[in-house]
Amino acid sequence: MIGLELTAAFIDAMVLLQQGGPAITGTGVAALAVGLAGFGAGYAERGIGAAAIGALAEDSISFGIALVLTVLPETIVLLTLVTLFLQ
Amino acid sequence: MSTRTNGSGSNYEYVTARVRSRRAKLFDEDDYRKLIRMGPGEIARFMEESEYEEAMNALGARYSGVDLIEHALHRNLANHFDDLLRFAEGRLYDYIARYLRQFDAWNIKTVMRGIYSDAEREAVETDLIRAGEFSERRIERLLGAESIEAVIDVLADTMFGDALADAYGEYEERAVLVPLENAVDRAFYETLITGLPDEPSRATQLYIDFLEAEIDFRNIENALRLSRSGADVDPAEYYIGGGRLFDEEELGALVANTDELVSRLRESTYGDDLDAALSELESAEGLSGVERALNRALLEYSRTLSNRYPLSVCPVFAYVLAKMREVDNVRAIARGKEAGLDPETIEEELVMV
Repeated sequence: MIGLELTAAFIDAMVLLQQGGPAITGTGVAALAVGLAGFGAGYAERGIGAAAIGALAEDSISFGIALVLTVLPETIVLLTLVTLFLQ
Repeated sequence: MSTRTNGSGSNYEYVTARVRSRRAKLFDEDDYRKLIRMGPGEIARFMEESEYEEAMNALGARYSGVDLIEHALHRNLANHFDDLLRFAEGRLYDYIARYLRQFDAWNIKTVMRGIYSDAEREAVETDLIRAGEFSERRIERLLGAESIEAVIDVLADTMFGDALADAYGEYEERAVLVPLENAVDRAFYETLITGLPDEPSRATQLYIDFLEAEIDFRNIENALRLSRSGADVDPAEYYIGGGRLFDEEELGALVANTDELVSRLRESTYGDDLDAALSELESAEGLSGVERALNRALLEYSRTLSNRYPLSVCPVFAYVLAKMREVDNVRAIARGKEAGLDPETIEEELVMV
Protein backbone atom coordinates (compact mmCIF):
# COMPACT_ATOMS: atom_id res chain seq x y z
CA MET A 1 0.00 0.00 0.00
CA ILE A 2 2.65 2.48 1.17
CA GLY A 3 4.87 1.52 -1.73
CA LEU A 4 2.05 2.28 -4.10
CA GLU A 5 1.38 5.67 -2.55
CA LEU A 6 5.08 6.56 -2.57
CA THR A 7 5.29 5.64 -6.23
CA ALA A 8 2.25 7.78 -6.93
CA ALA A 9 3.76 10.70 -5.02
CA PHE A 10 7.05 10.24 -6.86
CA ILE A 11 5.28 10.23 -10.21
CA ASP A 12 3.38 13.35 -9.18
CA ALA A 13 6.65 15.09 -8.35
CA MET A 14 8.16 13.95 -11.65
CA VAL A 15 5.16 15.28 -13.54
CA LEU A 16 5.42 18.60 -11.70
CA LEU A 17 9.14 18.83 -12.53
CA GLN A 18 8.52 18.07 -16.20
CA GLN A 19 5.92 20.78 -16.30
CA GLY A 20 8.52 23.22 -14.96
CA GLY A 21 7.00 23.44 -11.46
CA PRO A 22 8.91 23.12 -8.14
CA ALA A 23 9.90 19.62 -6.92
CA ILE A 24 8.17 20.20 -3.63
CA THR A 25 5.41 22.56 -2.73
CA GLY A 26 5.51 25.25 -0.07
CA THR A 27 3.25 23.25 2.20
CA GLY A 28 5.53 20.27 1.73
CA VAL A 29 8.61 22.21 2.83
CA ALA A 30 6.75 23.60 5.85
CA ALA A 31 5.66 20.10 6.81
CA LEU A 32 9.25 18.94 6.49
CA ALA A 33 10.38 21.78 8.76
CA VAL A 34 7.87 20.84 11.43
CA GLY A 35 8.85 17.19 11.17
CA LEU A 36 12.58 17.88 11.48
CA ALA A 37 12.00 20.22 14.42
CA GLY A 38 9.99 17.47 16.11
CA PHE A 39 12.84 15.09 15.55
CA GLY A 40 15.33 17.53 17.10
CA ALA A 41 13.05 18.23 20.04
CA GLY A 42 12.67 14.50 20.66
CA TYR A 43 16.43 14.02 20.70
CA ALA A 44 16.91 16.91 23.13
CA GLU A 45 14.13 15.67 25.39
CA ARG A 46 15.72 12.24 25.59
CA GLY A 47 18.74 13.63 27.42
CA ILE A 48 16.86 16.17 29.50
CA GLY A 49 14.20 13.62 30.46
CA ALA A 50 16.81 11.13 31.65
CA ALA A 51 18.55 13.79 33.72
CA ALA A 52 15.25 15.09 35.10
CA ILE A 53 14.17 11.61 36.19
CA GLY A 54 17.56 11.13 37.80
CA ALA A 55 17.25 14.36 39.77
CA LEU A 56 13.64 13.58 40.62
CA ALA A 57 14.63 10.17 41.99
CA GLU A 58 17.09 11.90 44.31
CA ASP A 59 14.34 14.27 45.50
CA SER A 60 16.38 17.30 44.57
CA ILE A 61 13.81 18.94 42.27
CA SER A 62 10.02 18.97 42.21
CA PHE A 63 7.93 17.16 39.63
CA GLY A 64 6.76 20.49 38.15
CA ILE A 65 10.30 21.65 37.44
CA ALA A 66 11.23 18.26 35.98
CA LEU A 67 8.22 18.46 33.65
CA VAL A 68 8.94 22.03 32.53
CA LEU A 69 12.59 21.25 31.84
CA THR A 70 11.71 18.11 29.92
CA VAL A 71 9.23 19.76 27.56
CA LEU A 72 11.25 22.95 27.07
CA PRO A 73 12.64 21.83 23.66
CA GLU A 74 9.04 21.43 22.54
CA THR A 75 8.97 25.23 22.03
CA ILE A 76 11.05 24.81 18.89
CA VAL A 77 8.29 22.70 17.37
CA LEU A 78 5.74 25.38 18.21
CA LEU A 79 7.93 27.98 16.55
CA THR A 80 8.25 25.94 13.38
CA LEU A 81 4.46 25.83 13.16
CA VAL A 82 4.83 29.50 12.09
CA THR A 83 6.20 28.24 8.78
CA LEU A 84 2.81 26.69 8.03
CA PHE A 85 1.22 30.15 8.11
CA LEU A 86 4.06 31.95 6.33
CA GLN A 87 4.32 29.70 3.28
CA MET B 1 29.91 -7.33 38.73
CA SER B 2 31.90 -8.15 35.65
CA THR B 3 32.74 -5.60 33.05
CA ARG B 4 30.37 -5.55 30.10
CA THR B 5 31.95 -4.21 26.98
CA ASN B 6 29.32 -4.95 24.39
CA GLY B 7 26.80 -2.56 25.89
CA SER B 8 25.34 0.02 23.57
CA GLY B 9 24.84 3.60 24.68
CA SER B 10 25.80 4.99 28.04
CA ASN B 11 23.26 6.93 30.07
CA TYR B 12 25.45 9.81 31.18
CA GLU B 13 22.54 12.21 31.68
CA TYR B 14 20.76 10.03 34.20
CA VAL B 15 23.82 8.98 36.15
CA THR B 16 25.39 12.43 36.37
CA ALA B 17 22.08 13.99 37.48
CA ARG B 18 21.83 11.48 40.32
CA VAL B 19 25.48 11.75 41.24
CA ARG B 20 25.42 15.54 41.29
CA SER B 21 22.45 15.73 43.59
CA ARG B 22 24.06 13.14 45.85
CA ARG B 23 27.18 15.19 45.96
CA ALA B 24 25.19 18.21 46.99
CA LYS B 25 24.02 16.22 50.01
CA LEU B 26 27.50 15.48 51.32
CA PHE B 27 28.49 17.18 54.58
CA ASP B 28 29.70 20.72 54.06
CA GLU B 29 32.06 22.83 56.08
CA ASP B 30 29.35 23.90 58.53
CA ASP B 31 28.40 20.29 59.21
CA TYR B 32 32.00 19.39 59.91
CA ARG B 33 32.33 22.37 62.24
CA LYS B 34 29.29 21.14 64.14
CA LEU B 35 30.58 17.54 64.21
CA ILE B 36 33.95 18.63 65.58
CA ARG B 37 32.25 20.12 68.60
CA MET B 38 30.17 17.02 69.38
CA GLY B 39 30.93 13.96 71.48
CA PRO B 40 30.80 10.46 69.93
CA GLY B 41 27.19 9.96 71.07
CA GLU B 42 26.08 13.22 69.50
CA ILE B 43 27.90 12.42 66.29
CA ALA B 44 25.97 9.14 66.12
CA ARG B 45 22.69 11.00 66.63
CA PHE B 46 23.63 13.60 64.01
CA MET B 47 24.31 10.79 61.55
CA GLU B 48 20.99 9.15 62.32
CA GLU B 49 19.30 12.32 61.13
CA SER B 50 21.30 12.50 57.91
CA GLU B 51 22.14 10.37 54.88
CA TYR B 52 23.35 7.60 57.17
CA GLU B 53 20.01 6.97 58.85
CA GLU B 54 19.40 3.62 57.18
CA ALA B 55 22.85 2.21 57.85
CA MET B 56 22.83 3.46 61.45
CA ASN B 57 19.46 1.83 62.16
CA ALA B 58 20.44 -1.44 60.50
CA LEU B 59 23.66 -1.76 62.47
CA GLY B 60 22.57 -0.12 65.70
CA ALA B 61 21.74 -3.41 67.42
CA ARG B 62 25.08 -5.01 66.65
CA TYR B 63 27.58 -2.28 67.34
CA SER B 64 27.83 0.80 69.48
CA GLY B 65 29.89 3.93 69.89
CA VAL B 66 32.58 4.74 67.38
CA ASP B 67 32.47 1.20 65.94
CA LEU B 68 28.87 1.81 64.97
CA ILE B 69 29.81 5.06 63.25
CA GLU B 70 32.61 3.37 61.36
CA HIS B 71 30.48 0.41 60.26
CA ALA B 72 27.68 2.73 59.19
CA LEU B 73 30.08 4.86 57.17
CA HIS B 74 31.44 1.84 55.34
CA ARG B 75 28.05 0.32 54.69
CA ASN B 76 26.65 3.59 53.40
CA LEU B 77 29.69 4.01 51.13
CA ALA B 78 29.27 0.50 49.73
CA ASN B 79 25.54 1.08 49.14
CA HIS B 80 26.17 4.31 47.27
CA PHE B 81 28.78 2.76 45.04
CA ASP B 82 26.62 -0.28 44.33
CA ASP B 83 23.93 2.20 43.31
CA LEU B 84 26.29 3.77 40.81
CA LEU B 85 26.70 0.39 39.13
CA ARG B 86 22.98 -0.18 39.21
CA PHE B 87 22.34 3.13 37.42
CA ALA B 88 25.01 2.93 34.79
CA GLU B 89 24.73 1.25 31.42
CA GLY B 90 27.02 0.51 28.53
CA ARG B 91 30.56 1.84 28.56
CA LEU B 92 29.90 4.01 31.58
CA TYR B 93 29.19 0.85 33.60
CA ASP B 94 32.47 -0.58 32.44
CA TYR B 95 34.43 2.51 33.53
CA ILE B 96 32.80 2.65 36.95
CA ALA B 97 33.25 -1.08 37.55
CA ARG B 98 36.94 -0.84 36.72
CA TYR B 99 37.35 2.14 39.04
CA LEU B 100 35.52 0.53 41.95
CA ARG B 101 37.91 -2.39 41.93
CA GLN B 102 40.13 -0.16 44.04
CA PHE B 103 38.04 -1.42 46.97
CA ASP B 104 39.04 -4.98 46.15
CA ALA B 105 42.64 -3.81 46.26
CA TRP B 106 41.93 -2.03 49.55
CA ASN B 107 40.31 -5.14 51.03
CA ILE B 108 43.18 -7.39 50.01
CA LYS B 109 45.70 -5.03 51.56
CA THR B 110 43.65 -4.75 54.75
CA VAL B 111 43.41 -8.53 55.11
CA MET B 112 47.12 -8.99 54.47
CA ARG B 113 48.01 -6.30 57.01
CA GLY B 114 45.67 -7.94 59.50
CA ILE B 115 47.37 -11.30 59.10
CA TYR B 116 50.80 -9.70 59.20
CA SER B 117 50.05 -7.93 62.48
CA ASP B 118 48.01 -10.81 63.99
CA ALA B 119 44.92 -8.63 64.27
CA GLU B 120 41.53 -9.97 65.35
CA ARG B 121 39.16 -11.02 62.61
CA GLU B 122 36.56 -8.48 63.80
CA ALA B 123 39.06 -5.64 63.67
CA VAL B 124 39.90 -6.51 60.07
CA GLU B 125 36.26 -6.91 59.13
CA THR B 126 35.49 -3.37 60.34
CA ASP B 127 37.93 -1.92 57.87
CA LEU B 128 36.69 -3.78 54.81
CA ILE B 129 34.64 -1.87 52.27
CA ARG B 130 32.35 -4.17 50.34
CA ALA B 131 31.99 -2.05 47.24
CA GLY B 132 34.25 -3.89 44.85
CA GLU B 133 33.85 -6.85 42.55
CA PHE B 134 34.56 -9.60 45.09
CA SER B 135 31.56 -11.63 46.19
CA GLU B 136 30.62 -12.05 49.84
CA ARG B 137 31.92 -15.62 49.66
CA ARG B 138 35.33 -14.58 48.47
CA ILE B 139 35.54 -11.95 51.20
CA GLU B 140 34.57 -14.59 53.77
CA ARG B 141 37.32 -16.84 52.48
CA LEU B 142 39.79 -13.96 52.60
CA LEU B 143 38.84 -13.25 56.20
CA GLY B 144 39.17 -16.92 57.05
CA ALA B 145 42.65 -17.19 55.55
CA GLU B 146 45.27 -17.99 58.16
CA SER B 147 48.39 -16.99 56.28
CA ILE B 148 49.51 -14.69 53.48
CA GLU B 149 49.96 -17.76 51.32
CA ALA B 150 46.33 -18.73 51.85
CA VAL B 151 45.25 -15.21 50.83
CA ILE B 152 47.20 -15.54 47.59
CA ASP B 153 45.57 -18.93 46.98
CA VAL B 154 42.10 -17.43 47.40
CA LEU B 155 42.97 -14.73 44.88
CA ALA B 156 44.61 -17.02 42.33
CA ASP B 157 41.80 -16.71 39.79
CA THR B 158 41.43 -12.92 40.04
CA MET B 159 43.36 -10.20 38.26
CA PHE B 160 45.57 -9.85 41.33
CA GLY B 161 46.60 -13.53 41.27
CA ASP B 162 49.64 -13.44 39.01
CA ALA B 163 51.07 -10.24 40.40
CA LEU B 164 50.76 -11.52 43.97
CA ALA B 165 52.29 -14.89 43.14
CA ASP B 166 55.26 -13.10 41.58
CA ALA B 167 55.75 -10.85 44.58
CA TYR B 168 55.45 -13.67 47.12
CA GLY B 169 59.08 -14.73 46.72
CA GLU B 170 60.29 -11.30 47.65
CA TYR B 171 57.95 -11.19 50.62
CA GLU B 172 59.39 -14.44 51.95
CA GLU B 173 62.90 -13.15 51.48
CA ARG B 174 62.49 -9.79 53.21
CA ALA B 175 59.47 -10.47 55.44
CA VAL B 176 57.91 -7.06 54.68
CA LEU B 177 54.52 -6.46 53.08
CA VAL B 178 55.64 -3.66 50.75
CA PRO B 179 56.24 -5.87 47.67
CA LEU B 180 52.81 -7.51 48.00
CA GLU B 181 51.03 -4.19 48.53
CA ASN B 182 52.76 -2.67 45.55
CA ALA B 183 51.83 -5.71 43.46
CA VAL B 184 48.15 -5.20 44.37
CA ASP B 185 48.28 -1.48 43.59
CA ARG B 186 49.99 -2.00 40.29
CA ALA B 187 47.62 -4.78 39.24
CA PHE B 188 44.74 -2.40 39.96
CA TYR B 189 46.13 0.63 38.14
CA GLU B 190 47.32 -1.42 35.18
CA THR B 191 43.91 -3.00 34.54
CA LEU B 192 42.30 0.44 34.78
CA ILE B 193 43.75 1.61 31.51
CA THR B 194 44.39 -1.60 29.59
CA GLY B 195 41.88 -3.13 27.24
CA LEU B 196 40.38 0.16 26.09
CA PRO B 197 39.78 0.80 22.39
CA ASP B 198 42.87 1.77 20.38
CA GLU B 199 41.32 4.93 19.04
CA PRO B 200 39.63 6.33 22.09
CA SER B 201 36.38 8.19 21.67
CA ARG B 202 35.89 11.48 23.47
CA ALA B 203 34.30 9.74 26.46
CA THR B 204 37.10 7.20 26.74
CA GLN B 205 39.68 9.95 26.43
CA LEU B 206 38.13 11.79 29.38
CA TYR B 207 38.15 8.58 31.43
CA ILE B 208 41.84 8.17 30.64
CA ASP B 209 42.56 11.84 31.44
CA PHE B 210 40.94 11.55 34.84
CA LEU B 211 42.85 8.41 35.75
CA GLU B 212 46.14 9.79 34.51
CA ALA B 213 45.63 12.75 36.80
CA GLU B 214 44.94 10.42 39.70
CA ILE B 215 48.00 8.29 38.97
CA ASP B 216 50.09 11.49 38.76
CA PHE B 217 48.86 12.53 42.19
CA ARG B 218 49.71 9.10 43.63
CA ASN B 219 53.18 9.34 42.15
CA ILE B 220 53.65 12.87 43.48
CA GLU B 221 52.60 11.70 46.93
CA ASN B 222 55.02 8.78 46.87
CA ALA B 223 57.81 10.92 45.49
CA LEU B 224 57.36 13.56 48.19
CA ARG B 225 57.22 10.91 50.90
CA LEU B 226 60.38 9.22 49.69
CA SER B 227 62.17 12.46 49.15
CA ARG B 228 61.25 13.73 52.62
CA SER B 229 61.99 10.55 54.49
CA GLY B 230 65.40 10.29 52.89
CA ALA B 231 65.08 6.52 53.14
CA ASP B 232 67.26 4.45 50.93
CA VAL B 233 64.49 2.86 48.90
CA ASP B 234 64.41 2.39 45.19
CA PRO B 235 61.75 4.89 43.94
CA ALA B 236 60.96 2.56 41.04
CA GLU B 237 59.44 0.19 43.56
CA TYR B 238 56.68 2.68 44.27
CA TYR B 239 56.24 3.99 40.76
CA ILE B 240 52.85 3.47 39.12
CA GLY B 241 52.91 3.42 35.35
CA GLY B 242 50.45 5.27 33.14
CA GLY B 243 50.70 8.81 34.48
CA ARG B 244 51.46 11.83 32.36
CA LEU B 245 53.85 13.70 34.59
CA PHE B 246 56.83 11.46 35.19
CA ASP B 247 58.36 8.38 33.73
CA GLU B 248 60.15 5.92 35.94
CA GLU B 249 63.70 7.18 35.52
CA GLU B 250 62.75 10.80 35.86
CA LEU B 251 60.99 10.14 39.12
CA GLY B 252 64.04 8.32 40.43
CA ALA B 253 66.24 11.33 39.67
CA LEU B 254 63.77 13.84 41.13
CA VAL B 255 63.32 12.01 44.43
CA ALA B 256 66.98 12.59 45.20
CA ASN B 257 66.57 16.34 44.74
CA THR B 258 63.57 17.87 46.53
CA ASP B 259 64.05 21.41 45.18
CA GLU B 260 64.06 20.21 41.62
CA LEU B 261 60.99 18.06 42.28
CA VAL B 262 59.11 21.08 43.67
CA SER B 263 60.02 23.36 40.78
CA ARG B 264 59.06 20.65 38.34
CA LEU B 265 55.65 20.32 40.01
CA ARG B 266 55.12 24.08 39.96
CA GLU B 267 55.59 24.13 36.21
CA SER B 268 53.29 21.16 35.58
CA THR B 269 49.63 21.27 34.53
CA TYR B 270 48.66 20.91 38.16
CA GLY B 271 50.81 23.88 39.24
CA ASP B 272 47.87 26.07 40.30
CA ASP B 273 46.09 23.28 42.13
CA LEU B 274 49.26 22.18 43.86
CA ASP B 275 50.28 25.65 44.95
CA ALA B 276 48.96 25.27 48.49
CA ALA B 277 50.51 21.82 48.86
CA LEU B 278 53.91 23.03 47.70
CA SER B 279 53.97 26.07 49.97
CA GLU B 280 53.01 23.75 52.80
CA LEU B 281 55.95 21.55 51.86
CA GLU B 282 58.35 24.46 52.11
CA SER B 283 57.07 25.62 55.47
CA ALA B 284 55.82 22.49 57.22
CA GLU B 285 57.81 20.17 59.36
CA GLY B 286 55.87 16.96 58.83
CA LEU B 287 54.45 15.44 55.71
CA SER B 288 50.86 15.00 56.84
CA GLY B 289 50.03 18.63 56.03
CA VAL B 290 51.39 18.17 52.55
CA GLU B 291 49.42 14.98 52.02
CA ARG B 292 46.21 16.71 53.03
CA ALA B 293 47.00 19.61 50.73
CA LEU B 294 47.63 17.09 47.93
CA ASN B 295 44.32 15.39 48.61
CA ARG B 296 42.57 18.73 48.54
CA ALA B 297 44.28 19.56 45.26
CA LEU B 298 43.13 16.25 43.75
CA LEU B 299 39.57 16.92 44.89
CA GLU B 300 39.64 20.40 43.43
CA TYR B 301 41.09 19.17 40.16
CA SER B 302 38.43 16.46 39.94
CA ARG B 303 35.77 19.10 40.56
CA THR B 304 37.22 21.29 37.79
CA LEU B 305 37.15 18.35 35.39
CA SER B 306 33.58 17.47 36.29
CA ASN B 307 32.41 21.05 35.75
CA ARG B 308 34.26 21.30 32.48
CA TYR B 309 32.88 18.03 31.10
CA PRO B 310 29.43 17.59 32.67
CA LEU B 311 28.35 14.68 30.49
CA SER B 312 31.24 12.34 31.06
CA VAL B 313 32.60 9.91 33.58
CA CYS B 314 34.34 12.77 35.44
CA PRO B 315 31.43 13.83 37.69
CA VAL B 316 30.98 10.21 38.76
CA PHE B 317 34.62 9.78 39.74
CA ALA B 318 34.66 13.20 41.39
CA TYR B 319 31.71 12.05 43.49
CA VAL B 320 33.46 8.80 44.40
CA LEU B 321 36.50 10.76 45.56
CA ALA B 322 34.40 13.29 47.50
CA LYS B 323 32.37 10.57 49.20
CA MET B 324 35.49 8.67 50.23
CA ARG B 325 36.89 11.89 51.63
CA GLU B 326 33.72 12.45 53.65
CA VAL B 327 33.94 8.98 55.14
CA ASP B 328 37.58 9.58 56.07
CA ASN B 329 36.72 12.93 57.62
CA VAL B 330 33.84 11.68 59.74
CA ARG B 331 35.92 8.73 60.88
CA ALA B 332 38.79 11.04 61.78
CA ILE B 333 36.42 13.20 63.83
CA ALA B 334 34.85 10.22 65.62
CA ARG B 335 38.17 8.53 66.36
CA GLY B 336 39.75 11.83 67.34
CA LYS B 337 36.93 12.53 69.78
CA GLU B 338 37.24 9.05 71.22
CA ALA B 339 40.93 9.63 71.80
CA GLY B 340 40.18 12.96 73.47
CA LEU B 341 41.84 15.27 70.95
CA ASP B 342 40.87 18.91 71.05
CA PRO B 343 38.75 20.39 68.23
CA GLU B 344 41.58 22.42 66.67
CA THR B 345 43.78 19.35 66.24
CA ILE B 346 40.94 17.41 64.66
CA GLU B 347 40.07 20.27 62.33
CA GLU B 348 43.62 20.27 61.06
CA GLU B 349 43.25 16.60 60.13
CA LEU B 350 40.24 17.18 57.90
CA VAL B 351 40.30 17.69 54.17
CA MET B 352 37.62 20.16 53.19
CA VAL B 353 37.06 21.75 49.83
